Amino acid sequence: MLQVKNVQKAFGENQVLRGVTIEVKKGDIVVILGPSGSGKTTLLRCLNFLERADGGTMDFDEIHTELKSASKAVVSKVRKKTAFVFQNYNLFQNKTALENVMEGLAVARKVPKEEALARAKAALDKVGLSKRYDYYPSQLSGGQQQRVGIARAIAVNPDVLLFDEPTSALDPELIGEVLAVMKKLAKEGATMIVVTHEMTFAQEVASKVIFMDGGVIVEQGSAEQIFTKPKEERTIQFLRRVLKDYDYVI
Amino acid sequence: MQLDTQFMLTTFLHVLQGIPVTLNIVVVTLLCAAPLGFLMAVSKSGEGKIGRRIIAAYVSVIRGTPVVLQILFLYSLLPTVLNYLIKGVLGLSFNIFTIDPIFYAYVVFILNTTAVLSEVFRSALSTVNKGQLEAALSIGMSAPQAYVRIIIPQALVSALPNICNTTVSLLKSTSLAFMMTVKDITAIAKIDASFGYNYLEAYLVIFVVYIFLCSGVQGVFHLTERGAAAYKKPAVS
Amino acid sequence: MRPFHPQYIFEALPQLILYLPVTAAIVIGTVFFGSLLGIFLAAGRIRRGRVGRVFANLYIYVIRCVPSIVLLFLIYYGLPEFLNVFGININDAGKGFFVITTFSLLFAASMAEVFRSAYEAVDRGQREAAVSIGLTEFQAFYRIVLPQCVRVAIPNFTNALVNLMKEGSLAYTIGLIDIMGKGQLMIGQNHGSYSLEIYLALFLLYWGLTILVEKGAGIWERRLSPVKQEKGGAGKCS
Repeated sequence: MLQVKNVQKAFGENQVLRGVTIEVKKGDIVVILGPSGSGKTTLLRCLNFLERADGGTMDFDEIHTELKSASKAVVSKVRKKTAFVFQNYNLFQNKTALENVMEGLAVARKVPKEEALARAKAALDKVGLSKRYDYYPSQLSGGQQQRVGIARAIAVNPDVLLFDEPTSALDPELIGEVLAVMKKLAKEGATMIVVTHEMTFAQEVASKVIFMDGGVIVEQGSAEQIFTKPKEERTIQFLRRVLKDYDYVI
Repeated sequence: MQLDTQFMLTTFLHVLQGIPVTLNIVVVTLLCAAPLGFLMAVSKSGEGKIGRRIIAAYVSVIRGTPVVLQILFLYSLLPTVLNYLIKGVLGLSFNIFTIDPIFYAYVVFILNTTAVLSEVFRSALSTVNKGQLEAALSIGMSAPQAYVRIIIPQALVSALPNICNTTVSLLKSTSLAFMMTVKDITAIAKIDASFGYNYLEAYLVIFVVYIFLCSGVQGVFHLTERGAAAYKKPAVS
Repeated sequence: MRPFHPQYIFEALPQLILYLPVTAAIVIGTVFFGSLLGIFLAAGRIRRGRVGRVFANLYIYVIRCVPSIVLLFLIYYGLPEFLNVFGININDAGKGFFVITTFSLLFAASMAEVFRSAYEAVDRGQREAAVSIGLTEFQAFYRIVLPQCVRVAIPNFTNALVNLMKEGSLAYTIGLIDIMGKGQLMIGQNHGSYSLEIYLALFLLYWGLTILVEKGAGIWERRLSPVKQEKGGAGKCS
């Protein structure tokens, strides 16, 4: 369904992605792990054209494009088939929760207002915020804001959901509610690419785990493969470090 | 010291007739300068290097020189230039020297306020988090849609206090319009005062009038701010 | 069209520059007296006392609303009469006295805000940390808090100073001969000709002064800033 090949990206002198290739099938839950600076967030942002890659190609259903020279129309098409959940939520500060979710429908996709309203409400209900329709972001907790962020993403029925460290900005006690929503979406068959540090989430939910370091994919495989029988030395070291740090048990 | 209260009362009533003139200049200036200033703010962050230089120089000169100098300069320049253009170039018989001097006031204050507002808008646009644009693009909005629906409304709210300041200082600057023979508040007080040398009384009267006008302006902005910043209010639950 | 002689701009400049000391004296005098009054106003706003706070707030509010020229006329025509009631005669005072009085009253309101926001910008913990390692209150203020306040205050102070310089040009309306006054005088002596050239010369002078003040303030601010870390080469990722 979605395949990117040989993605390259540099910020000035700093080569962040050195030819990354990934493939995502319908219903996949792809979790990307890696130390900070490994390029995983940049990869995700390139998929949604929030960053322009320097090289590489994308095949997304019927779309085939160079990442570097993709036209405005192609970018717009890709963005309408994907949805992005940000680390720091990026809710529209001047819109209520409901309006935040409706924008993508009513404005970007010209869905009739009645229908947009119904779909927005359904999305918010799904993330457990049926009592917070008319709250502004500043009136919501971090966990609630991120759930609105997820509602905004799922409301547009994207083919692929992109999550960029959705729980990193949250206080520990609020992480659970966001992960619960994500698990629920996974169970319902959503296709997701998730950049995260939540190892238990990766172990329980991922259908494919990708470990990145230094701008390349070091190793990929099923959750079981990566967590119990990692082959590469760098993967082993990374897992040893984070699993100890986070006090998780394999 | 004996204040001539009778004189103060008649002057006050006189001065009231100048309020519409003062407000007229303020409102027309803001209506013209706001869109111009906004365009400048946007093109300042845009591509064209030469355009950016010109705008920067214009803003620097306007903000680096006294308003009174700008008034004196334009008021001695504009009539002759316009006269030359109309008579010499267009060949019309229209007498430029009969034009209402308030138009010169418009020109001066629009030129001045545009420069100030362009800075206000530029800094307001930069206060809006970059993530807001990214989020709007990520859900499929076009860049213009993102600006109109997400970025500009937020920038306006954060610009409101500075727009209020700009309006207050514009209101104060209009007191110099008498130099262009505009009959505003200050001009009327000056004329009244010069009849009987009642300067103290006349200026005391407009001192108070300006405080009221300025309070009115601030009140309007205060209400607008409260309405527009509803999304900033703290949690209620 | 009237004739325009660009070279006259440069002929006029030296004559105008001769009066730069007058403009400078007005500015310096105003900064001195205005800052003094501003300190009291800022203290009024910061301290607990209710009377002081109400007075300071009211003062700042009123001054913010009044056009400089109205206050200048009011002081010039009104102050002698007002002080006469108390038996003080200032009818012989120079024009500079009225100008400095007017602009000190205006400048004080700006300075009160400059002082207050600088004071509030410096974290309380700075004083506490200084006292905790054994500095006296005075040392803590003088060595730790004050330098930080000054750095925070520079941009706002510069703004106020540039404003003062520009508004100060109104002094010519009561007959003070500073650069602006000299310019008007020259135009009068020429019976109105060369006015554009003289105004342009004044534009150059005021614009140059503003740039000078702003550049100077920028250098001063950088010298007071703690050494900043070299910016990392590339964008952050992941």
